[in-house]
Amino acid sequence: MDTDKVIPIWEVRQPEGVHRGPVELTLDQCIKCNICTTACPVSPVTDLFPGPKYEGPQAGRFRQQKQPSPDYSVDYCSGCRVCNMVCPTGVRIAEINARARAQMVETGKFNGRTRLRNNLLARPETLGKLARPVAPLANTLLNVKVGRWLAEKTLGIAQKASLPRFSGETFSSWVKKRERKARSEERGAGRKVVYFHGCSTQYYEPRVGKAAVQLLEANGFEVIVPPQNCCGLPLLSNGEFAAARKYHASNIRHLIGYVQAGYVIVGTSTSCTLTLKEEAPELLDYYDDEARLLAANTYDFNEFLLGLWDSGELKTEGLRPIPLRLVYHPPCQYRAHRIGRPAVELLELIPELQIIESQVACCGVAGTYGYKREKYQIAMDVGRPLFDLVKESGGPLAVCDSETCRWQISHATGLPSVHPIELLAAAYGLAVEGPLADVMRET
Amino acid sequence: MNLQGDVLVIGAGLAGLTAAWQVAARGGRVRLIAKGWGALYWHAGCIDVLGYYPPLGEAAVSSPAEAVAALIQERPDHPYARVGVAGLDEALRALQALCAQQGYPLHGSLERNWLLPTAVGALRPTCLAPETMIAGDASQPLPTLIVGMKQLLDFYPTLIADNLSRQGIPAEGVALDLPSLRECNFINAALLAKRLEQPQFRAEVVAALRPYRGRAERIGFPAVLGMEQAVAVKAALEKELGRPVFEIPGLPPSVPGMRLHGILTRVIGEKGGRVYDGMQVVRAEEARGRVTAVYSEAAARTRPHRFNRYLLATGGILGGGTATDSTGRVREVIFDLPLAAPNDRGEWFKRDFLDAAGHPIYQAGVRVDGSWRPVNGDGQPVYENVYAAGAMLAHCEVIRERSLEGVALATGYRVAQMLAG
Repeated sequence: MDTDKVIPIWEVRQPEGVHRGPVELTLDQCIKCNICTTACPVSPVTDLFPGPKYEGPQAGRFRQQKQPSPDYSVDYCSGCRVCNMVCPTGVRIAEINARARAQMVETGKFNGRTRLRNNLLARPETLGKLARPVAPLANTLLNVKVGRWLAEKTLGIAQKASLPRFSGETFSSWVKKRERKARSEERGAGRKVVYFHGCSTQYYEPRVGKAAVQLLEANGFEVIVPPQNCCGLPLLSNGEFAAARKYHASNIRHLIGYVQAGYVIVGTSTSCTLTLKEEAPELLDYYDDEARLLAANTYDFNEFLLGLWDSGELKTEGLRPIPLRLVYHPPCQYRAHRIGRPAVELLELIPELQIIESQVACCGVAGTYGYKREKYQIAMDVGRPLFDLVKESGGPLAVCDSETCRWQISHATGLPSVHPIELLAAAYGLAVEGPLADVMRET
Repeated sequence: MNLQGDVLVIGAGLAGLTAAWQVAARGGRVRLIAKGWGALYWHAGCIDVLGYYPPLGEAAVSSPAEAVAALIQERPDHPYARVGVAGLDEALRALQALCAQQGYPLHGSLERNWLLPTAVGALRPTCLAPETMIAGDASQPLPTLIVGMKQLLDFYPTLIADNLSRQGIPAEGVALDLPSLRECNFINAALLAKRLEQPQFRAEVVAALRPYRGRAERIGFPAVLGMEQAVAVKAALEKELGRPVFEIPGLPPSVPGMRLHGILTRVIGEKGGRVYDGMQVVRAEEARGRVTAVYSEAAARTRPHRFNRYLLATGGILGGGTATDSTGRVREVIFDLPLAAPNDRGEWFKRDFLDAAGHPIYQAGVRVDGSWRPVNGDGQPVYENVYAAGAMLAHCEVIRERSLEGVALATGYRVAQMLAG
């Protein structure tokens, strides 16, 4: 084979020019075959959402700039993107729906209370900054029954939905503490990579970031964790495009210098990386040179590791066996990267680990969707086949790349959920924390 | 550089899925990638082998074995001539064995075509049909009741019944108005199929239908009798109605096609193969007469797939494997392989829409060598390691011959045998 031409995944590349053009134009490619309608996980469980074909390419014909949106049901699109994946003619239905929702926000179709609720749910960074210093108190308050009842009545945040717990320590404070002992440089071997942690790792599950940093170092990378923002996806999926644009601009400011200096960006949150790669540029028409350069050099964590494997650079010797049988669910946002199932291919490297692959379209929660009073039950019904699969598997935990999906699975099944790279870190013999550490101790 | 596997199949129609299944079943490391779900979701769920031969013939083929043998004699370049009747038969039997094992038997053989009613009440010759459809066979003119549901807007029972009656099959049509469907804003075939798996909904259907049974000796439904449990749903309805029951496939989304898609993708996974959707191949890389990688479109970049061999099963004009441009050029979309096709727009179509000789553009396809590798004008393979199967092959007219599934299945099966062998 020709090995000489292949650029290693950790080298910065120029954008490939796969800019796909305005999403609305793709509606002309719809041939009304209804494949999306049968694949949509939302429309079979609720009559409030008639399905992707009606909402996207059909209603799209009646949506004009500065004109009122023809319907409200588009807000019941969860944005899971399953329709895009199965469409044989390339209609970008989910994006058409997201832009329609933004138009509703812009034209005042949501009342103040709904927008307040949506903005609260869609700003994990603000919440994290406020709550983290008083994490135990915040955790208690968020789970007080009366408070939750009140939050549902006044704001429309589903009382039954389980809110994630703030971590006592942020991920970045762990990084700082660690750097005082030894620079990451001394642990890695000189090649550098930037880690994008996202809000969930920063405020709720630092353990995922710790596993990521150690895995990268074990493969010879110095890991840089620069200041960064929320990727803005929750705002995008709530139609709050103006606020999302600010976040994206800020992330470009924070990160572009590193890319220009030759470092790629790697993230463990699949929806954050998808947002930097595609969602923000596409939904916001944000296609300047810097946005495109950042997109072209942002990788999902498993995608990056698999890229190392492709070029024979991933450390695979001496992996420790993990004798467990676990359900792995690829999040819908992950499939939307259109890179296959890299997590499964990596987990296959771990001796004795048996993976049951979920074929379920979506866990239901779709970011903030399942936390809303009017959508909570829909989200639970969408995810039911997945919850059944996890429960029937008899495994001690579930595996999933996306944080809100993990929380949804745990909420519905009562079982803990971990990121696939936590398993890989354990197989590398690195220290892991949380539910996986508990399970590993028992086995 | 690590290779990702032995065989990359491009395209998720019947040819691609069959090939991936067979490579995986024979121990090969295979990945199938496709732009979307495609062909089988539009599919009637039957296997047409040869419905009309010669294509201008008035009468439907009654014995595919005899007609295929005649076709092979007269058209030595046809894909069937390359696989032979025995090869075709082997592929059909393999698919039948797989479907039977999955509890969804396909009945029939090369000896005789079924003649099954379509969604407009025409009669359609087909070689293999699922157990849920065969009671509709028109070779016996039994009195027939066709049942629809008012809320399912894609199925017209009286149209079907009227047309069947004109062809000598006494038939009546009725559209049930079911209270539980009246509450729904939206109904489609896939939703109904799930509902019919629930006993209480079936009971509602049966109760509404009983008064209309009359003299009917069989009852035809739209093809919505269950998704995963179709045979059981059909048996339950027959027991409760006291008549044989059959399905008529209709507009997409087509439930019988989805069942086949499910069976094939499941078995590929069980045998260790992978099926990825949402991956449109946009370019290929070559060196010294071999393809070294193909790239599929992904978020913010293209993604390489490096395999030993590449099987193209992207279909013809309808499937998207070949396309035309405004100058009249017909091209194969991934490797730009040479095509047997008219490159003058004026020659694409005959004057008459229903011209007996067919439109030349629909015969566009790739020519292959003895190893199923696309060839150039001199008959030499374009690449050492690129192969083709299914409706993209030249020298067949799968729509007019009613041979689409037979060609896809037999060539996908044969190429896979060779690649895995």
